[in-house]
Parts: sequence; structure tokens; C-alpha cells
Amino acid sequence: MGLRTALRRIAATRVAVLLVTAPGATAVRLAVEAGVRRRGPAWGWAESPAAANALLVAAGPGHQAGGTLPDSLPGRLWDLLPHPKARATAAGEDEAGPALDSLAEALAAGPGWRSGSAPGGPGRQARKGAGGQDTELVAGLPMAERGDDRDGLRLDVLHLPLGPALPDWPAGLVVDVALQGDVVQEARVRPLSGPGALPPSGDALPYWDEPWLRAAHGESVSEGAAHRRRCAAHLDSLGRMLGVAGWPGPADRARRLRDAALRGAPAGVLLPGVQALRRRVERSRTLRGLVRGLGPLPAARARELGVDGPALAAAGDAYDRLLRWPTEAERSAAGVDSTALLADRRPVGPRGRLDGPRPPSRALLDALPPLLAGAELAAARLIVASLDPDPDELLGEEAPHG
Amino acid sequence: MAETAPLWAVVVLPLALVVLAGVAAGADAVLSAAHGGAGAWRRAADPWREAVRLLVQQPRRTRAADRWLGRIGIGLVPVAAVLAAAVVPWGLRPVTDPAVGVVWFNAMEALAWAAVWLAGWGPNSAFSLVGGYRFLAQGLAYELPHMLALTTAALGAESLRVGAVVAAQRGLWFVVWMPVAFAVHLLSAAALAFWGPFAHPLGRDVAGGAAAEWSGPDRLVLLAGRWLLLAAGAAFAVPLFLGGGHGPLLPAWLWTVVKTAAVLAALLGLRHLVPTVRMDRYMEVAWLVLVPLTLLQALVVAVVVLGRR
Amino acid sequence: MFGDVVFWVLSAVAVAAGVMVFRFDSMARATYALLLSLLCVGGLVVRLGLDYLGVVIVLMMTVEMALMAVFMVMYMMNPAGLMPMSMLHNTKGAAVVCGGLFVLLAAGIVLAPWPHRRGRPGDDATRALGESLMGPHMLTMMTLGLALFATIVATVVLATRRGRYDRFGDALRAPRADDPARGGVGR
Repeated sequence: MGLRTALRRIAATRVAVLLVTAPGATAVRLAVEAGVRRRGPAWGWAESPAAANALLVAAGPGHQAGGTLPDSLPGRLWDLLPHPKARATAAGEDEAGPALDSLAEALAAGPGWRSGSAPGGPGRQARKGAGGQDTELVAGLPMAERGDDRDGLRLDVLHLPLGPALPDWPAGLVVDVALQGDVVQEARVRPLSGPGALPPSGDALPYWDEPWLRAAHGESVSEGAAHRRRCAAHLDSLGRMLGVAGWPGPADRARRLRDAALRGAPAGVLLPGVQALRRRVERSRTLRGLVRGLGPLPAARARELGVDGPALAAAGDAYDRLLRWPTEAERSAAGVDSTALLADRRPVGPRGRLDGPRPPSRALLDALPPLLAGAELAAARLIVASLDPDPDELLGEEAPHG
Repeated sequence: MAETAPLWAVVVLPLALVVLAGVAAGADAVLSAAHGGAGAWRRAADPWREAVRLLVQQPRRTRAADRWLGRIGIGLVPVAAVLAAAVVPWGLRPVTDPAVGVVWFNAMEALAWAAVWLAGWGPNSAFSLVGGYRFLAQGLAYELPHMLALTTAALGAESLRVGAVVAAQRGLWFVVWMPVAFAVHLLSAAALAFWGPFAHPLGRDVAGGAAAEWSGPDRLVLLAGRWLLLAAGAAFAVPLFLGGGHGPLLPAWLWTVVKTAAVLAALLGLRHLVPTVRMDRYMEVAWLVLVPLTLLQALVVAVVVLGRR
Repeated sequence: MFGDVVFWVLSAVAVAAGVMVFRFDSMARATYALLLSLLCVGGLVVRLGLDYLGVVIVLMMTVEMALMAVFMVMYMMNPAGLMPMSMLHNTKGAAVVCGGLFVLLAAGIVLAPWPHRRGRPGDDATRALGESLMGPHMLTMMTLGLALFATIVATVVLATRRGRYDRFGDALRAPRADDPARGGVGR
């Protein structure tokens, strides 16, 4: 008894957080990430529900009520976590700290472990056959049907949603893929408001585009603040891409620099760090060998789709796009101390022009399906990360204000 | 030299391997936190605390899972590591020194192929299965150069007995004239433990791959078993290429520990330098670059051995 | 005594696992039951004093069964063990073939004029095996090796849908192969 209690006490000091971010809650996510890092070695991130003992929902200011979102993703994920477990919702930057503390408290005080196994996991997450009709069920799961594959074989097709609760994945995005083996035969981007998606949260401006949109609305925004936001946005994208590529050290470095940029570090501190990171990324021949050739998006095709920003400037494959981020982040880092007012020009956010008919992330999402078809699952993840669409930008489009 | 360690070593071996793996995992945690500021060394205990967390966590069940097969796979990971380590001499004596020790190590390490696939298959989940399949592709990529590297060391000693391989290095360590085989063995040690640059079967892009659906003690056995495999692979590099217990001043067992720690440190460094390798790219490197290189290395060694007679 | 126990245990497990191959209704389980059976056979070969062959059986069979499971799952209808399926096909024909084969082999064992042992086996069976393979049986092994290799190459050539003209264009002048997935050495 004594030993078991002691072991549980040690176990309760460790928190593996599964973070689910609602579209529009980027600021909350950043606050949570910084909070987890500040809390030291006992805190870490879980890659899947099975690995977690704490579920944290980063919701936007729109989610005020109680933090429970019945019949939606957080509830389903919560059922998948093994005991002992804790959950919390942070609906705003200032709630991130208290939410994390409440997780630790709940784990320390928790009812502990119930006997028996945790309930059924998602298993093969295929629920519907192609076209949405129900297929034959075994153990409540549909059987795979067959189709022609990339290499001329006739193999089973598995319908699988990618997202929304994947590590290093755009908030709330769901891509429905038809897999044969681990080769994506077909990909479809689900609308954010579709089934299984987190409801949009609030009517705040997209976090990464905020300075330019404010300036366009006539508020006075300093150039330095805009540079800061752009630098952090690119470092965020870079960190995610490196995370998917499986290079945890530099990915973590990119996130630390991102947080430093947002906290207001002067250019003299920020710039050398970003430069060192850029050199490290550019010098890795292994990274180049692994990412080269994935998801080619030549300039002509990008322009046709309406893609703008780094993805257009890179005019190449996922590796070219990956390298744009540290380069542009470095350029922005040099200007973070500028106090001049953001001139009244066309607003250009980290992902492209903001005054066009559609937000830049919409074009990035439109570019996805043809690039994903024929890619292996790992390559597909890298392609999504290399375009890094920002679902925040789509909220205004899909869920009009009011 | 050829005599084996006493019977109590059978009990001590798994414990020693667990301690070695735990220290390596602790060192990795320290290294990961090194740029995070002061107090990084305190993270050395992190793996043990994490083990406790998993130990008291609830195991999970997925729908239509083959739990038996999955658990057999998970259990096979540490078992394969301990069986492989049985032929590694600690000091100058292994727990057992069969006449075909080098092949035995290779065979036990191949059990990991079955183990990871089963662990990925068991939960009946797509990401987990993708992880399991990835390891088979990885096995096909690393195993051929690895076999040739092992063969090269055995060829240099003209024996498959690990004790004889150590004895043959009394003068000159094999790493000096078999650098390619040594480098390939280091890569293979990481690859057979599906760890570090070769962690793709448990990749972040598929939410943890073969480990994605396992929680509690199941997860602990799988993740700890992988460190045991890494420790066994690293420890085997010492008798094969680094002269085993041979060295001046210090006693043989201490030399073994020092050299094993050095190999593990090199592997930890590799993990922090190199991103995770995908097999759709590495396969070609392994078969078109590493296989010819190791064949060439074996040829050189064979010619030297023939010339020595 | 101890040796007898090991022999009978390994034999019993080998046969039982072999039976289970046909009793399991999941391909993964059937494959790994077969692996268990073959691992026991490897152990029996070690018991015969042929360490090298025994351990190599363990090594090769583990790798082969792991790969075979992949192909079985890949090419069979309704894989994943979700749909229980019988491992038995064409039971009557198979029974006839198996029965005939058993009788043939058993008759061979009983009727063959086995040579009597002259002298003692050498200390190092592995060395003896190597010298035999590289000495008197060199020609057989080389022929066998070449035949196996030719079979592999021929199978791949017959199975592949795309040749070099598909990859490098009709004049074989394309600087980079047109492949669905790119390899790692930058060809």
C-alpha cells in the first residue's frame, strides 16, 4: 500500500499534455506552449491520447462556458486518455497558466486509477466508405474496399481523417485521405465547420495577421511590432515543419526564438539566434536529402492557385519552402526595433496579401489535394507542414461575424 | 579467456542492461535540455520518473484489437535485447560464449523485426500499423549492410566466437582497419533500436507510430525495451571493433564500461545532429552506397587475413 | 536427461504451433504460429550440435515470416484480422497431397540405406560445414546461388510495370527518372 501510494505520488508529478487547439486560438496555444516550457522537466507533450495524462483544450475567447464541448472532439479525445487523467480548457491567453496549474492539481489530488482497461480507442478511424455510404461492418468498423493504386495494383483502400488532433498540425484542420498501404491516393480538405471540427471561436482577428489588419483598419501599429509578428510566424511554421521532419532539437530552438520574438527581445538578441538556426538548417545535408522533391509547387502553378507569400517566393518543392522561413524570419528579426508607424500600404501578412478576395491560407489549402495524391503518409505530413495553412485566417471566411 | 562468467551473471545481466539503458536515457534527457539553461543535469532522473508514471497508468484497449499478438510483440523487444546482450563480454567474460556468438546476436536482434510489427499490428489502428510496417522497411534497409559489418569483424578474427574476436584485437583494434564496418554497425545499432535518426517507426508524424495506441505498462515495456536494444547494440560494438576489455592500466570490466559509454555518447550526439531518416530515401543509400562499401571493406579484410597466413 | 526434455518440449511446441497455423482465423496469428514452429525447429537443429545452422534458421525464419505477414496482409481480401477467415483452402486436394507426401517421406526414412557413422564428428561443426561448402560442394553452392539470384532478378523484371523507357523517356535522355517516389541518392 505504502509503495503504491509513493509510486502514484511520483507519477502524479509528471504531466504529459495533449494539446488541442481550436481554430482562432493561436494566441492561447502560444501561451500554453510557453507555460509548459516554463514549468520545467516534469512537463512534456504527448503525441497521442494514449501517451497523455492531461488534455488541454486551447479555445478562443468565444468559448466561455464551462470548458465542456459536448459531442465534439475534446469529449471524444477525453474518453481515449488512460487513467489517471485531467482536463482543462483555456479560453484566452491569461487562462493558460491557471489551466495548466489546474491540470497539475487535478493529477496530484485525482481519484487515481480505476481498475480495468480504458475504453475502446479509435481503432481504424474509418467510419464511412467512399461517398459516405455505410459499408459492411465488422466489430462496428467498416471493411476496406478495393481500388487501383499508384503502382498498378488493386489493393484495399482505407479512408482515414488526418487531424485535427495530430502533433504539429494546423489547428482544427481535417484532411480526409484515401490510403492504400501508406500511400495517399486521394485527399480532400474538410471545411472547418464540418463534423468533427472544433467550432470556431470568437471573432478576433487572425493572430499572425493582426498588425497588418489593424493598420488597415486605421489603428497605429509600429513597423517593429509587425516585423516581430512576421518573424514569430515564420519561426512557428519552421518549428512545426522541423517537428514533423523529426528533428526535435532545432524545432525546439525555433519555438524558443519565436517566444523570444513575441516577448519583445531586441534585434541584437534575436538576430544572432535566428541566423544560427538558419545556418544549421541550411547546412543539414540529411534534411535536404529527406525533404527535397516533395510537393513541388512551381511559381506558375502557385500563381494560378492564388498562392502568395513564402510559398510563392520559394517557387519550388517543400525544401525550398522550408528554407524561405528562416531567411525571411532573419530579415524580419533585423527590423524588430523599428518604431516607425506601419505605412499605409497593402497589408501583407506572413502568408501573403491580406486584401485579396480570399485569405492566403485558402489558396494554400486549395493547393494541397493534388500535391498529396500519390505521396506517402510521411511525405504528405511534410507537404502540409511545408505549406502550413493557418486555419485562423479561414474563420472570417467560413463563419461570418455575428 | 574462453571461460564464461559464473551463473549469477544470468541474473545480473538484465539488471546491468537496464541500468545502462537508464543512464543512457538520462544522459539523453540532459542533452535535450542542455540549451534550456541551468539545472539540466537534474533531468537525468526523468526516464525513471516517466517509467513510474507509465507503471501506474491504466492500460488501454482499442476496438477489434489483437491484444495477445500486440503484447507478445511488446514483450519481445526487451527479451530480444537481453538475449542479444548475453553474448557481449563484460570485461573479458561473456555470460555465455557460444561458437556462433556473432550470428546469435544478429538472430536475436532480428526478433525486433517481428516485435515492432506485432506491436503496431495489435491495436488495430492505422497510424500504429503504418509504424509497424515502417520498421520492416527499415529492417530491409539496415540489415544487409549490418550483416556484412558483423561478418567483416568475424572475418578479421577468423571466428564467429565473440571471445575470439576480442582476443584477435589484443594488438590492434578492428576499428582502425575496419572503419567502414564500425560506422555501419553504429548506424545499425540505432536502426535496430528504432531510435534517434531511425525512430521513424515511432515517428511524430504518425502520432507515435507503433507506440501510438499503447499506454501504461505496455508502453513502458515497449519504450524501455527500445533503450535496452540500443544499449545492447552499442555494447556489442565494443568487443567487435573497440578491442573489448583490452586497454592499459584499468581493469577489463572498466574498459568495457568506458568504451560502451563512449559508443552510447556518440549515438546520442548523432541523434541531436541528424533529423529522422525516412526509409523511402534511406533504402537507396543503404543498398547503393553502404552495401558496396561494406563489401569492399570485407574484401580488404579478407585479403589482409589471407596475406597474414 | 535435460537434453531429452529440451528435445521433447521443442518438438511438441513445433508440432502444436504447426497445427495452430491452420486453426487460427487471423493471418497474422497464423504467420506467427508458423514462426514459433520454425524457431523450435531451429532449437532442435542446435540440439543436434549444428549451432550455426540452428541460429541461422532462427535468423532467416524470423525475417522471412515478418516479411511474409506483410505480403499475406497485402494481397488477401479483408486483411487486418478484422474479418475472421479460414486458413484452409481446397481441403480435399491438400489432404491428398499432404498424405501422399507424408507417406513418401516416411517411406524414405524407413527404407533408405542410411550410412553408418565412421569416426567421430569434429570439434567445430561450423568449420566443418564451411570447409564442406567451400570445398567439395563449392560447385553446387555456386550454381544454387546463381540460380536463386537469377530467379530474384527475373521475378522483379517480370513484375515491374515500368521499365527504363518509362523512367528516362524514349531516348533515355531525361536527367532525372520520372518515378512516383524519389530515392535517396539523388538519381
